[in-house]
Amino acid sequence: MIAVDGVDLDLLPGEIHALVGENGAGKSTLANIAFGAVKPDDGTIETNGTVGLVHQHFELVGRLRVWQNIMLGREPRKGMLVDVDGARSRVAELAERNGLAIDPDALVEELPIGVQQRVELMRELEREPSVLLLDEPTAALAPAEIATLFATVVQLAKRGTAILVVTHKLQEVIDYTTRVSVMRHGKIVARYLTTQTSTDEIARAMVGGELPVVAERETTGTQPCLSVRDLTAGVDTTTVSDLSFEVSAGEIVGIAGVEGNGQTALADAIAGMIPYTGTIELDGSTDALRHRENIGIVPQDRHHEGLVLNWSIVENAILGRQNLPGIRKGMLTDWNAARADAEAIIERFDVRAASPDVAVRTLSGGNQQKLLVGRALLGDPRFVLAYQPTRGIDVGAAALVQSRLIESRNRGCAILLISFELDEILALADRILVMFRGKVTGSFSGAEIDRGKIGRLMAGLT
Amino acid sequence: MRVVLRVLAGPAGALVLAFVLAAVAMLIAGVSPLDGFGALFAGSLGGRRPIAETLVQTTALLFPALGVSLAFRAGLFNIGAEGQLLIGGLFAGAVGAHFAGPGWLVIPVLLLLGMVGGGIWGGIAGWLRARFNASEIISTLMLNFIALSLAGYLVAGPLKSPLASGAETAPLLPNGYLPAFPTLGSISFGDTRLTISILIAIATAVVLSFVFTRTVFGYELRAAGEAPEAARRSGINMPRMTLIALALSGAVAGLGGAAIVTGVLHRFNTALSPGYGYTAIAVALVGDLNPLWVCVAAFGFGILEAGGLAMQANAGVPKDAIHVIEGLIVLVLAARRYFATRATGAPV
Repeated sequence: MIAVDGVDLDLLPGEIHALVGENGAGKSTLANIAFGAVKPDDGTIETNGTVGLVHQHFELVGRLRVWQNIMLGREPRKGMLVDVDGARSRVAELAERNGLAIDPDALVEELPIGVQQRVELMRELEREPSVLLLDEPTAALAPAEIATLFATVVQLAKRGTAILVVTHKLQEVIDYTTRVSVMRHGKIVARYLTTQTSTDEIARAMVGGELPVVAERETTGTQPCLSVRDLTAGVDTTTVSDLSFEVSAGEIVGIAGVEGNGQTALADAIAGMIPYTGTIELDGSTDALRHRENIGIVPQDRHHEGLVLNWSIVENAILGRQNLPGIRKGMLTDWNAARADAEAIIERFDVRAASPDVAVRTLSGGNQQKLLVGRALLGDPRFVLAYQPTRGIDVGAAALVQSRLIESRNRGCAILLISFELDEILALADRILVMFRGKVTGSFSGAEIDRGKIGRLMAGLT
Repeated sequence: MRVVLRVLAGPAGALVLAFVLAAVAMLIAGVSPLDGFGALFAGSLGGRRPIAETLVQTTALLFPALGVSLAFRAGLFNIGAEGQLLIGGLFAGAVGAHFAGPGWLVIPVLLLLGMVGGGIWGGIAGWLRARFNASEIISTLMLNFIALSLAGYLVAGPLKSPLASGAETAPLLPNGYLPAFPTLGSISFGDTRLTISILIAIATAVVLSFVFTRTVFGYELRAAGEAPEAARRSGINMPRMTLIALALSGAVAGLGGAAIVTGVLHRFNTALSPGYGYTAIAVALVGDLNPLWVCVAAFGFGILEAGGLAMQANAGVPKDAIHVIEGLIVLVLAARRYFATRATGAPV
């Protein structure tokens, strides 16, 4: 498997260069090669000065404080001791100069993901690199934070740093970068000057053809289905308090918010995984919510919460549904029914697998995700909780998953969509609730939906 | 090099390697490997009596190994099969000494008592884990020592047979003896220690295999072992599963204790097990926690256990050398993963 194949890429001082492509196109590998973390089998990398890389998956020490992480390995000294005050003020000054709000004394593991990202960025900035590589830097950020981040990045570029941004968010590419390189299957397939291209053109280059179409939304009723009243749940940084909302049958309600603002607590409370106060009812009953035939759940973490990786697709297809009448026959599992379910998911969701009997571990992340969503939607449950349903899958697969969600909605399913991608929520939701620090700070539907306003609320502004 | 690694990655290659290493060990001990292995196999497979003795050892290992497999499949490291075996035997022996009745009643009741005893012993660890999140590794190990001391005290005191010189219960009434293994053609096992308990053990393996692959309970048990968080989110009550799995695991081991009491010793004493419950962990792992392969693995270890004595008597190789071979087999099989990774780039 060749991740990056014969790529030529030059970065100029002062430019912000976007590297875009679908998942698995080889962007991260290329960034890691440029950084020096991965050795190329063939070819060379030349730089003048140092290269910094902000990882997609953070490489921070959770048990250390923010300033300790940023200064790790380069702590200023006072004799034999670490100059704590010096280090802290250096971090504070760094934050100030780059417009990044951060508490130098916070424990990293207690910080929301978005703030951890900032720590990761600051650690690289502290080294003042001449080339800065950013791997999906805005994946966990709110729109306002994204603007702040890019303000920092633009400043850095003005001071002569060469910057490479790996991303799949095309609006950011258009808004902030100067040049774009598009990767597909390990090769660079297109290069544009940002001022001379469009998101559509870049997207077509990424996919290698026309963009997939998402299913049409049909008019549906407004019968209340899921009702949440005065919900308080969660611990520490991921809590929700006094949350009340309803999801009607045939409606997709999108929870817009930056990761770490209570979405996990909300999802876990609805799934019955954590204790809560308040009421959560399905069709007016709490019991109904615990009946597996009524609900489908796409969990947040597919590897730990959703799938048994060593098991086959058939075995995974009935996980959570193993006691439903169609699957359980007396004491026994009806494996024929399980196989039929697996085959239905494979067909409807275009899961690419050699057979339904292969271990789920051998599937790509995108196919695993499709299996997960397919299982949740199987048999048209009354209510579906979809947590980041298109996480980590490519444009075509995402369109398929989104279409299936809309089709379920059209058939009368109530869907609660939790996503950190505002674009996804804007594309799918009939109604949008903005969550900030465990509370709903805004509700929008139909013509009221205003991207700018939602973005500001996500960042805690009014 | 790759070819060599690939061969070593297969189970046959692993066994061959284990025997080569064992041969080296014999050479170091000053014994010809030819003589050593000759005595080992003559003593375990060379005739009706040696085979019967091998199968007796196989049975003694198979029950606790199946119990261990059940717990491991549920993700629970039950290393307390030894204690569960003892308590199962104790229950059967204590009641059997005073239980008169027809064999069709006495034998099933004694076997059931063995399951109850082992089940309680495993269940204690399960309850501690479910209720207090106490590590079952520690608690099952500690319960082994408690079981040994408790049984030792009981057979030396309250349960001691007044007629016996040593510390043991009164013998079972003959109706409680397990029937001898059925005669095969002209081959009778009436004068050996082999009983139908080997058939009960294999039947248990078949039942377990069925439970794992076909029942919803088995599905949930495997889910709990493979991916606890996904299992919990699929609606499985994890504390309950922990309790049930450890109790069942103990019950299977306890059944083995009762099978030794009713089949071999015809009474209970603490010499019931020379460490079957510990060897069983290796048997279960070598059998890949799959009940049917565990049967094969138990037979392999049975050969070593039965042949070891003959090897000591006829070739002058200490019986402890058998434990070296057992250890080598486990080691080599564990190393298979490493060889396989080196050979193919992917773990087996």
